[in-house]
Amino acid sequence: MISLSSYLLISFFLFLCGILVIIARKNIIAILLGIELLLNSAALNFVAYSRYTAQNLDGHIFALFIIVIAAAEAAVGLAIVIRFFQIKESIHIDDASQLQS
Amino acid sequence: MFVKFLFLISTLLTLAGAIGVVAVKNIMHACVFLLASLIGVAGLYVTLGADFVSAVQLVVYVGGVVILMIFAVMLTGGDKADFFNKFGFEKVSAMGNKKTYLVGSAVLIVFTLSVGKIIFNIIDLKSSKDPQSYVSTVEQLGHLLLTDHVLAFEASSVVLLGALIGAAIIARPNRGVK
Repeated sequence: MISLSSYLLISFFLFLCGILVIIARKNIIAILLGIELLLNSAALNFVAYSRYTAQNLDGHIFALFIIVIAAAEAAVGLAIVIRFFQIKESIHIDDASQLQS
Repeated sequence: MFVKFLFLISTLLTLAGAIGVVAVKNIMHACVFLLASLIGVAGLYVTLGADFVSAVQLVVYVGGVVILMIFAVMLTGGDKADFFNKFGFEKVSAMGNKKTYLVGSAVLIVFTLSVGKIIFNIIDLKSSKDPQSYVSTVEQLGHLLLTDHVLAFEASSVVLLGALIGAAIIARPNRGVK
């Protein structure tokens, strides 16, 4: 059968891709995409460990709450991005250098 | 057999989508690659026997979050503008250039070396242990959410309400101007 390590490797690779997106991209929406990848890798780890070692469903509960928090974070983050675009006419992260416009 | 096939397809979709999010130059294409990656993760949840989590992943992530991202991309006009700093001697494209990718790769190499010392020792891809068979998890999850985790469940409803109201207030134009 499929072992736990293969899921861990997939999750590790997703995490690396998320980190690379966050560091290398300068577009605020692209950085939010990277954060979604990171959250997915964490939730995948929770569910995999829940099946292979814990023998109960607490990992599924954690994955559900991660999905809920990610949805809330995406809503607030994209609202901030849209407001920032209305003020600065840009979504470049280096334009976001002051708290007060 | 079917589980193995589904696992291979989902792994391919997940990894290809993640690589696409990293490598592609167009933000809209990156959103579509993220969609593929999230569908692949939902398939991996199915192979792990997490049917309810997989359905929630499909409904909330694929149907909600990515569509929200695409809305934001369309409302902000894509990635046309480059950034010039105050002195005008440095220009970084909105989707990153060679220098930012170099810095990111250096960070990744250091991270992989430091974490890999632990991870690569415990990897064994040929586990023969078969975990429990597949059963429906919906009923047990409902029981858990309303008994053990009821406080977190109620708190997450408050978090969602606050996030939605906050998003509506933040995105409203002309704040403070009557």
